[in-house]
Amino acid sequence: MTSNRSKNGTGMIEFRGVNKWFGTLNVLRDITLSVEPREVVVVCGPSGSGKSTLIRCINGLETIRDGDLVVDGQRLGDPATNMTRLRTEIGFVFQSFNLYPHKTALENVTLAPIHVRKIPRAEAEKAGRELLAKVGLADKVNAYPAQLSGGQQQRVAIARCLGMRPKIMLFDEPTSALDPEMISEVLDVMVAVAEEGMTMMVVTHEMGFARKVAQRVVFMDAGAIVESGTPDEFFSHPKTDRSRAFLSKILRH
Amino acid sequence: MIWQQLQSIAGSYPLALRGLGMTVMLSLISLVLGTLIGFGLGILRTGGNRLISGAIGAWVDLIRGTPFLVQIFLIFFILPELGIELDAFTAGIIALTNLAACFICEIVVAGIRSVPTGQVEAALASGLSRWQRMRQVVLPQAMRIVLPPLVGQYVLLIKDSSVVSAIGLTDLTRVGWLVVQRVPNGLLVFFLVGLGYFIVCYPLIMLARRLEQRMGAAHGEVQL
Repeated sequence: MTSNRSKNGTGMIEFRGVNKWFGTLNVLRDITLSVEPREVVVVCGPSGSGKSTLIRCINGLETIRDGDLVVDGQRLGDPATNMTRLRTEIGFVFQSFNLYPHKTALENVTLAPIHVRKIPRAEAEKAGRELLAKVGLADKVNAYPAQLSGGQQQRVAIARCLGMRPKIMLFDEPTSALDPEMISEVLDVMVAVAEEGMTMMVVTHEMGFARKVAQRVVFMDAGAIVESGTPDEFFSHPKTDRSRAFLSKILRH
Repeated sequence: MIWQQLQSIAGSYPLALRGLGMTVMLSLISLVLGTLIGFGLGILRTGGNRLISGAIGAWVDLIRGTPFLVQIFLIFFILPELGIELDAFTAGIIALTNLAACFICEIVVAGIRSVPTGQVEAALASGLSRWQRMRQVVLPQAMRIVLPPLVGQYVLLIKDSSVVSAIGLTDLTRVGWLVVQRVPNGLLVFFLVGLGYFIVCYPLIMLARRLEQRMGAAHGEVQL
């Protein structure tokens, strides 16, 4: 069960005036955004709009130039914040899965619990098998990533994150690298995780997923948050020209 | 004539065995030490610290860019002037270990850099420490790239060990020089010396070839 505690009345994830540059390119512009515990936020926008960079900042895969980013009550970049410790509370699902190719599905799931959480091997393996069963891969426990389909690999990757019992899960275009027939098996797992009350930020263009579980959709363009609202508001009555143009492109097919 | 020479050479077999033993001993010790130090240097070289990384890079370039014979002379004849007395065997081991470590460092660095960034990011994201990322995620995958040239480097090391005969160590090559003074048939004597090296090296060459084939086929599980 994830904790609902959040210090100083702030959200689980709290961006305040965050800016980031790649060289002279302002990839994040004055981002202010608060994600409450158990909230599911979908981030969408055209490619290059800074969506991935936004969520990669949350677990420190990218660093911010200025502004405040507070995650689970800890300010990033603060010397008092132990980034390695904080990362154990944040699951991150990559577009390209990034499973460890030299380890089996079960070993992928148990690696961090055994070495970081120091859970006894037998216990970690039992939990790992249960998680793999939960994502529908009870029969693939001993398979290597190369022997699994993309959809199966991504489900192992989700199980790998869940194995750490994180407070937050971040998804960076989790279905973009998948063949169309495998997308729903991954989305189904993500819906199940959301329904258990996980705090989630999901970069995706899967609007069906957004309608089903998201409390909020955030639309980004050119590094800035242009619009933010409930899925219904956003899809039925987009407020800006840019979001209308974006929606007309992704909903056309 | 040839027959007499062969008999005379055969009479020197205790000396030849001693030489072979010395060559194997020198190679084996510096191979083990050089591998350990080479891996350590390679890991440090790819670590975040620019100063350490730069210093290792400069040292490796220096060693790769100077003849091994010169390095041995420096260690054996120049260090004593600075007050560091070394016997020939220790000097040989130090020179060979240093040479092996530098080449192996480069091989390890190439292997570590071949591991996709996504792997490190996945390990970072699940909270693994720097050493855990290296030990559990990066090195096992790097070994696929590292192992074949590593074994190839061992072959080079065994052959380079012949240079230490220059500081008076009775290795296989020096035994050749000693025998040829008694048996004036350089072609025959050094053919046999070469054969001695080949017998030691050939199994390693075969091993490197097999590793290369296996690494290409397997889906990446190499146990350290």
